Amino acid sequence: MIRAMLVDDEIHAREELQALLLETGRFAISAKCANAIEALDSIRSNKPDVLFLDIQMPVVNGFEFLAMIDEELMPKVVFVTAYDEYAVKAFEENALDYLLKPVEKDRLAKTLQKILKQPINGNSPTSVNSVIPQLTRIPCVLTNRIKLIGTVEVEYVESDLTGVHVVTAKGRYFTALTLKILENRTDFIRCHKQFLVNIDHIDEILLNENLLAQITTNSGRIIPVSRRHLKRLKEKLAI
Amino acid sequence: MKLLLALLQTMSVFLVVAYIYSKSPAFKSLAAISNRPRNKIYLYFFFSAISMMGTYLGLPVHDALANTRAIGPVLAGIIGGPFLGTAVGFTGGLHRYFFGGFTAFSCGLSTTVEGLIGGVVHLVLMRKNKSSLIFDPTTVFFTTLFAEAVQMGIILAVSRPFEDALSLVQVIALPMTITSSAGAALFMSMIRDRRNLYESAAATFSTKALRIAERTLNILAKGFGRETACEMATIIHEETGVGAVAITDTEKVLAWIGCGSDHHRPGSPIASPLTRRAIDENVVIFADGINEEYSCTLSKDCLLNSVLVVPLKLDNDVIGTIKLYETRDKPFLNMNKSLGEGIAAVLSNQLLLYGYEQQKSLLTMAELKLIQAQVNPHFLFNSLNTIISIIRQDADRARELLIHLSNFFRKNLKRSGHLSTLEEELDHVNSYLKIEKARFEDRLTVEMDIDPSLLGLKLPTFTLQPLMENAIKHGISNMLEPGRARIHAWRDDDFAYIEIEDNAGVYNENNGKDGLGIRIVDKRIKFLMGNSFGTSVSCISNVMTRVTVKVPAGGASAP
Repeated sequence: MIRAMLVDDEIHAREELQALLLETGRFAISAKCANAIEALDSIRSNKPDVLFLDIQMPVVNGFEFLAMIDEELMPKVVFVTAYDEYAVKAFEENALDYLLKPVEKDRLAKTLQKILKQPINGNSPTSVNSVIPQLTRIPCVLTNRIKLIGTVEVEYVESDLTGVHVVTAKGRYFTALTLKILENRTDFIRCHKQFLVNIDHIDEILLNENLLAQITTNSGRIIPVSRRHLKRLKEKLAI
Repeated sequence: MKLLLALLQTMSVFLVVAYIYSKSPAFKSLAAISNRPRNKIYLYFFFSAISMMGTYLGLPVHDALANTRAIGPVLAGIIGGPFLGTAVGFTGGLHRYFFGGFTAFSCGLSTTVEGLIGGVVHLVLMRKNKSSLIFDPTTVFFTTLFAEAVQMGIILAVSRPFEDALSLVQVIALPMTITSSAGAALFMSMIRDRRNLYESAAATFSTKALRIAERTLNILAKGFGRETACEMATIIHEETGVGAVAITDTEKVLAWIGCGSDHHRPGSPIASPLTRRAIDENVVIFADGINEEYSCTLSKDCLLNSVLVVPLKLDNDVIGTIKLYETRDKPFLNMNKSLGEGIAAVLSNQLLLYGYEQQKSLLTMAELKLIQAQVNPHFLFNSLNTIISIIRQDADRARELLIHLSNFFRKNLKRSGHLSTLEEELDHVNSYLKIEKARFEDRLTVEMDIDPSLLGLKLPTFTLQPLMENAIKHGISNMLEPGRARIHAWRDDDFAYIEIEDNAGVYNENNGKDGLGIRIVDKRIKFLMGNSFGTSVSCISNVMTRVTVKVPAGGASAP
């Protein structure tokens, strides 16, 4: 059975697609999510083979959502959308297929054939050898809502026992994204095992005698630089 | 006594001159108190001539002249001020001086002083804002009286031997003073009468022009066609009182009011070669009936023989003519000629304005069509997908939704820029909301709070739905939390307010997509109801966006 995950903000659209997928007898529905934030949580525990993904969704759209998924978790992606204005972009994202709502049974059968031709496990064309989509906004969880923080605003990212936090001049926000994703999908530079820094926000780098260094950001926050990463940081800054 | 009669005789010569002068076109410079230098120079020559003539017509008395020279300088002073008065007096005085005699110097001096006196009176009256008294014969009479008395004084004071001067003054004082004063006063009364005549003619003209402009002002807004042409021709005919008024387009007669309307029928092609020429060459044609005659090509019995043809222009293209006709037994008044040309200019301007308004409304319609087209794909396919899904679980609900969908599209198709009642608008919104509610289920709740007395309120069709669609498409559908929309309609004094509110609180004025729907709604309300009405937006980020529509409580009248 192919384990499918459905992400669509309209409940009836999810139900309809679920019904169609089950009718083929080849799919098992591992999760249904109403938005990208739910899906981000869910994809880690469910590790689906195929992701049926709507594009227009609240707060984080389908494309942005893809940029937030860990590479090793990346399933095959089939976009499901009502209107074909995104088709070209979808294929730029190396989607396996692109379905239009309402979905026809025959058309879905073709998608199934495409999925079956690909090795179930291992490298899917969605993620490997493809241009990795860059993150421009990072979803952060606030007490009662999700805030999207533009990567240009971020001074640094810090990982500690409580999770990953994005720090801007205005505050510190929790995000469900991992440091690794953020390092790969943004221009942030690793300066410490637990820190990524946005070089556009570096005010000064203080070099200590014992080869340890400190970065002061534009808003005056101080983050450590480990010996291991100092060299690379210097290279990046062409010092 | 004999002297008095002789002087009265010379005075009457002046009055004849004044009369002839007042009939001449040159009189205009007197009709207004004008500071234009050209005017003043003209007055200087005129009154200097009068003054010199007074000297020439004088009667020799005791080696001196009994005369009415004073009239010129005093009038010039009163009308044109001290400078002009003194200048005329000096000229007249100098002229007298060369005639010689023992009073040569005193007369020359006193004439200059008399001009100055007139000028002082002018200044005093102007200062006291009593310029109307300048043309009052009484003022002139007493000013001249005083000036002549001063002259006598100067003669006595300056001329030597004093005995001769005294005996001269005893003879001439009374007759000269009386005739000069009376002459100047009569002269002025003649000027005043002419002046009043001028003014009243100008006033009549202005009133007529304004009345016509006012009465025709809004007619052309309905377009340039037979009906409006007929209305306008009737008004122009009534106001000008000419024999007949016709309006044509470039091909045929649109309206013919007045004499000759029995054979000049609206709808018939243009027959007159004069009109053809006015159209083809874009010129005003005037056949005054004397040098050039209008002759009707349609009927021998047609009484009309003079005509003014003025082209009506739109952006320099001739689109028709206005024609004023007069019959054989009446001359074509100059006033009506200027009026006719003025009316055509006013109407041309109005046509331009009308064309502009029409284009503006066409543009709005085009934008409206655009936004309707924009609505469709996402909404349509998502709705169908939703309904397809619902069929599996609840066929009745699916059927109901399809009926709402068809109602929604039917209303969309019917939209052609006319008016709908609030009830019809709400029905349209309701169909839309039923479907959106099915798509979003728990993510969307809608509240309605409508003052039932407003259900008949007339609004431009397609006012509420775009606003509600904005609230959902750009607001609620982008929320992770449950969305709430609210429609509230109420009445406050003479105004009705309809508010559409969502709890998403995202509105970006600069975002073209967000704003376009609202802007079109706003534009159409302003177009139909005036600039004090329309939409306003308030937004508290992440809390709510509220669009308020303000219209007159009486709604819109027919478009």
